[in-house]
Amino acid sequence: MMPQTPDDALDRHALVSAVWLPSGFVALGLFHFGFAGGGPWWVLAGFAALLAGYAAHVVLNAALSSRFSRYEVALALVVYAAAGLALVLAVLFEPGFAAAFFLPVASGMAGLAAAAVFYMVTTSGARAAFGQFDIIRNNNPRRASGLPHRGGRK
Amino acid sequence: MSAFLVMALAFLAIYGVYLAALVARQIPTPAAFFDGGGNLPGWAVIFAGSGLVVAGQGLGDQLNLTARYGLQASHLGMGLILAALIAVLLQKRLWLAARITGLTSPGELVARYYQSITLRAVMLMLSALFALPYAANLLSQAGEVVEAATAGTIGRAAAVWVMAFFLFLPAVIGGWRGTVLVAAVQAVLVAVLVLVCSVFAQTMLPGPGFPTLHVAEGILADRIPGVIQFSAGLGKSLPQGGIFTAVAIASTALSMIGVVLAPGFLYLGMTARAGRNPGFGAVWIMAGSGGAVLLIGAPVLAAHMGGGLPALAATMALVEPFAGLGLILLVVLAAQLATVVFVNAGALLVTRDLILPYVVPGQTPKSQRTTARIGLALTYALMAVLASFAPLTSAILAGLALPMAVQLLPALLGLCFVRWISRGAVITGLILGGLMVVATEAFGLILIEGLFVDLPWGRWPLTVHSAAWGLTLNVAAVLLVSIFTRSGAEQAHRDRLHDEFAARWPVDFGGHVGRGATWSLTLIWAFLALGPGAILGNTFFSQPIFTEGNAAVGLPSLWVWQIFFWLIGVPLVWWIAYRAKLGATSVEGLRRVDLGAAPDPARAPDWIATGLARVTGR
Repeated sequence: MMPQTPDDALDRHALVSAVWLPSGFVALGLFHFGFAGGGPWWVLAGFAALLAGYAAHVVLNAALSSRFSRYEVALALVVYAAAGLALVLAVLFEPGFAAAFFLPVASGMAGLAAAAVFYMVTTSGARAAFGQFDIIRNNNPRRASGLPHRGGRK
Repeated sequence: MSAFLVMALAFLAIYGVYLAALVARQIPTPAAFFDGGGNLPGWAVIFAGSGLVVAGQGLGDQLNLTARYGLQASHLGMGLILAALIAVLLQKRLWLAARITGLTSPGELVARYYQSITLRAVMLMLSALFALPYAANLLSQAGEVVEAATAGTIGRAAAVWVMAFFLFLPAVIGGWRGTVLVAAVQAVLVAVLVLVCSVFAQTMLPGPGFPTLHVAEGILADRIPGVIQFSAGLGKSLPQGGIFTAVAIASTALSMIGVVLAPGFLYLGMTARAGRNPGFGAVWIMAGSGGAVLLIGAPVLAAHMGGGLPALAATMALVEPFAGLGLILLVVLAAQLATVVFVNAGALLVTRDLILPYVVPGQTPKSQRTTARIGLALTYALMAVLASFAPLTSAILAGLALPMAVQLLPALLGLCFVRWISRGAVITGLILGGLMVVATEAFGLILIEGLFVDLPWGRWPLTVHSAAWGLTLNVAAVLLVSIFTRSGAEQAHRDRLHDEFAARWPVDFGGHVGRGATWSLTLIWAFLALGPGAILGNTFFSQPIFTEGNAAVGLPSLWVWQIFFWLIGVPLVWWIAYRAKLGATSVEGLRRVDLGAAPDPARAPDWIATGLARVTGR
C-alpha cells in the first residue's frame, strides 16, 4: 500500500531521510573507527547502526501504511552492490584486509541481506516474496495463474 | 576536522534546499506558503516542536552551564516536563480554536478573542523579539562554535552569514512547510547525536568521566546550593555554591515554557494536521527524550568539558574524527533548528498580521507570497547583521524573549480554559509583568542604571528568574482586574468559543476526584522535582533519612533524584494528555464559530487614541 497523495509521499520521504541521516552518519563513524584501527567489532557495530536504520524504516512503513519505494529499493541495491564490489576489491588488493575484516564485513552484509529477506517474507509471504524475482514466470503467463487462489498473477 | 565540518554543513544545507524544492513543487496555493495549508505532518510537528523546545533554550549554553555549575544546572532539564505539561494543556485547544474560527495565526486569534489591537501588537513584538535578537544570539553562538572548531579558518561573522543564507534558502523556497520539514530532520539528527556523543565521550575518552564533574572551587557540583539565597542578583552579588538554588531552578524552569508560548511554537501547533501529535510529541519526545538529553546526556558530556566545548570536540576528534564532528554538528544544528523556526515564523507572522492587512492591503495571493519572501529576506538579513556585528546587544535583548513570552500564559489560559479572564486583566497583567521582567533582566538594568540611578538589585534578585518575577505580578494583576471586569458584553463574546469547547470537546479529568488527584499530584511532583523539595535530593539517596549510615550508590544523590522525578514526570504528562483527552485532535464535528469581523486596519488602539487625544486636545 503506497502513499495516496504527493503530499503524503513527500512527508514520508522527509521522514525516511530523518531516519537514514543519523543512522548513516553513525554507521560511517563506526566504520571509519573500525577500519582505522578500532577492530572488527566496531565494523560490526557499523552494520548494527545500518540495521537499526533499516528497522526504523520498516517501522515507519508500517506506521504510514506504505512500502519501500522503487527508488529506495534501487538505491539500496546499488549501494549494496558497490559495497560488495568494494569488499571483493579490498580482499584482492589490500594486504591484510581479508584476515582482519573479511569476516565482519561479510557477516554484516549477510545480516543486511537476511534482514531484507526476513522483511519480504513476513510482509508478503514466502511465495509472493519469491514471486517478485520470478521473471521467467512473468514471461510465460498462463491463464490459470491469474486465478486468485494461484496468487492472482498476470 | 575543518574540512569534515564544512562538508557536513554543506551537505545538510544542500539537503535542506532539496527538501524545500520538493515542497515548493507541491504547494497547492500561494496562501499555503504561509501555513503549509494547515496540514503539516504530525511527525514533523512532533520532532520540530520538541527539538525547538530543547534547542530553543540554547543547547550549547546548557552544556556550558552544566560544565560550569554541575548537576544544579542540569536540573533545569526538569523544566522540559513543565514545558510539556503546558504544551499538552494548550495545543489542542489552540488548534481547535484556529480551526473553528478560521484564524490560524496566534496573534490574530488572541487579538480577535480578546477584541484587542494591543494584544495583536504584543504578539507581533514577541514574534520580532524571537525572530531577530533571540535567533541572532543563537546563530552568533553557533558561529563562535564553528570558528573555534575550525581554529579560526572560518570566522564567526562569515559562519553567521553563510549559515543565515543557507537557512534562508529553504524558507524562501518551501515556505512554512519546507521550514518545518527541515527543522524536523535536524531535530532527529540532534537527538541521535546527543546519545552517540555522550556514550562515546563516557566510554572512549581518557579520564574519570561522569559522575566526576570538574567545576570551579566554591561551586557545589553535585548539590543544589540551598532553597533560596538572599542575594541582590547577578552583577551585584554572587550566590554561594552556585546560582541554581531550588527557587532559581523552579523559576528558570518556568522560563523554559517561554519557548512553548513563543508565537513560533504556537503557530507550529496550530498549522498541524489533525492527529495524535500533541500528546505523543509532548509525552514521549519533549518530556521523555528531551528530558533524557538534558538530564542524562548533558551531564555526561559536561563531565569532559573542562576546557570547553571546542576542546572536547578536539579531544574526541583525536580518537575518532566523526565523533568530534558529531559534537560540533550537534550544537550547530540545534542552534540552526531554533533559528530557522523562530525567524521564519516571525517573518511570516509579521507579514500576515501586520504588513498584508495594514501596510499593503488588497494584494493578490501571489503578491502576498512575494511580500512574504521579501519579508523573509529582510528578516534574515537583519538577523545576520545583529548576529555578526552586534552579538552583545543581541544577547542582552535575547534575555527578554523567554520571560516575556511566559507573560502570555494568563492570556492563553484564558483563551483555552478560563472564560472569566478579561481583556483588561490580560493587558494589565502583560504590562505589569513585562515591566517586572525588564526591571529584573540585563536590558532593563543597563537602561535604568545608564540613564537614571544605580539599582540595589541585579539580574534575577533572590536567585529568582525574571520570568517568575513577571509572572507573579502578572497573575496577581489578572486575578484582581478580572474580579471587576469579568461580566458584560465582552464575556458574551468570549463565551462563544468556550461554549463550543464545552459542548463538543470537554476536558475530562475524571470528575471532581480525578481533577483533584491530577492537580494534587502535579503540584506534589512540581514541589519535589522542581521546587523547594528538590533540595532533599542533595543527600536523599546517599544519606537516606531515618537511617544512621550512608548508602553507596556510586552516583550523585541529586542525579538519581533527577532521574527518578523525570521518570515520574513523563507518566504525569501522559496522564494529563490522554486521561483528559488533550492529546489528540480531530476534524470530526468542527463547527464554525465567528469571533466577529477583523478590526478596521486604520483604527488605532483605544488606549493610544485616548492618550493622543489628551495631548492633542489641550
